[in-house]
Amino acid sequence: MATMGLALPWEARISNQEQERGNRVGLGENPASGLAQAPGEVRPDDLELAAACQAGEMHGYERLYSLHGKRMKSIARNLLGSSADAEDAVQETFLKVQRSIGTFRAQSSFVTWTFRILINTCYDARRSRMRKKEVTTEGTEESPMPERRAPGAHPSLKLALQRAMEKLTDHQRQVFLLYEVEGFRHSEIAGMLEITETASKNTLFQAKKNLRTMLEPPRSQAAEAR
Amino acid sequence: MNDMNVSCVDRERIFMDGSAAEWAALEAHAATCAECGEELRVWKSMSTAAGELRQEWETPHLWMKIERGLTEQMYQKPSRLRAWLNSIGLAGVQWQTVAALLVLVVVTGAGWRIFRPGPGHDSQGFLNKSAVTDVERAEAAYQKAIDKLEAQAKPQLEPTGTPLMASYREKLLVLDNAIDELRTEAGKNPANAHLRRQLLAMYQEKQDTLQEILETKR
Repeated sequence: MATMGLALPWEARISNQEQERGNRVGLGENPASGLAQAPGEVRPDDLELAAACQAGEMHGYERLYSLHGKRMKSIARNLLGSSADAEDAVQETFLKVQRSIGTFRAQSSFVTWTFRILINTCYDARRSRMRKKEVTTEGTEESPMPERRAPGAHPSLKLALQRAMEKLTDHQRQVFLLYEVEGFRHSEIAGMLEITETASKNTLFQAKKNLRTMLEPPRSQAAEAR
Repeated sequence: MNDMNVSCVDRERIFMDGSAAEWAALEAHAATCAECGEELRVWKSMSTAAGELRQEWETPHLWMKIERGLTEQMYQKPSRLRAWLNSIGLAGVQWQTVAALLVLVVVTGAGWRIFRPGPGHDSQGFLNKSAVTDVERAEAAYQKAIDKLEAQAKPQLEPTGTPLMASYREKLLVLDNAIDELRTEAGKNPANAHLRRQLLAMYQEKQDTLQEILETKR
């Protein structure tokens, strides 16, 4: 896989703060995902939220937004590359949730179901944008720009990572984004993408391997350079 | 916990699905293995960088937009029915009224089927026994539907209403008297098709009057 001309010495890119996030790697799962529950288990508050939305009560939707709106925006922003598109996708997701709430059978978490709709909405938007791009001019590609720069990883690495993520398969990008960026558990990702937990783990591993190849020249080249 | 032995060959497996103990063992191994140390560092740095891709920005108007969209959609759902009612001039009518009207349409249809010349109807204008049973059943349903319509129109027919409503009230009184008389006659002579037709005409007149009253509500 090509390095996309983004290869930088790791020393320049790796933050000393990696440990705080790296803990998650060691623990295997994110303990603070906010949707934590075993697969198939539906929490009472989740059912309450679903019931309120099913009854057409606006406060149900408002609560869903206040609890998960930020994360929904972030996912959509990372999948679509622009804040405006992300906000449109979140809005569209709420409308879709309202339209299809009658089909929700509480076999999975309502929130997981909502995120599944969000992801599908984002991919529909991406596909539609790609079709439009095919028709219009090339070279005006808008690469997602970070909107804030928190101390941590080197800004070049973040930018390189964003660009490299674009080269992943849709499925790998989704899993990487949901796990590494948004902090969901594999069990939650499995529910959202309708895959098994093992498939989620395997896909994440493949995504990271691909990203590593894209971001870093092969070790043999690095050794030669030294 | 670090008694567990891992080597370079275990690295990828642990990256993919290692337990906390295995990760700890890999960390210990990486301290003495340059290659694993570098790989571990790179692997973790991707997670660090990825974590910082999480986006947060203020969107003070987004919920308002969503709420407006949800509200519009909520009212859009029955709007197909509304559009249809509008197209037949019944926009603004309550659902109960629509239901009552539908019942009336069905019953009137049944009445038409019964009263039209056919097998249950002889050449002298008399109904046979089974036709009488059908007519009485249809009549009862029709009357019930009209009663529902009347109940809806009742608030407008209160004595404190407009002069127009007062004249409607009088008209309904006349119709009710006529219906009572015809029903009494029909009770004495149930097979008389002519009486039944007159009774049906009175019911239809009452139905039309009630609909007019409900229409004025809009």
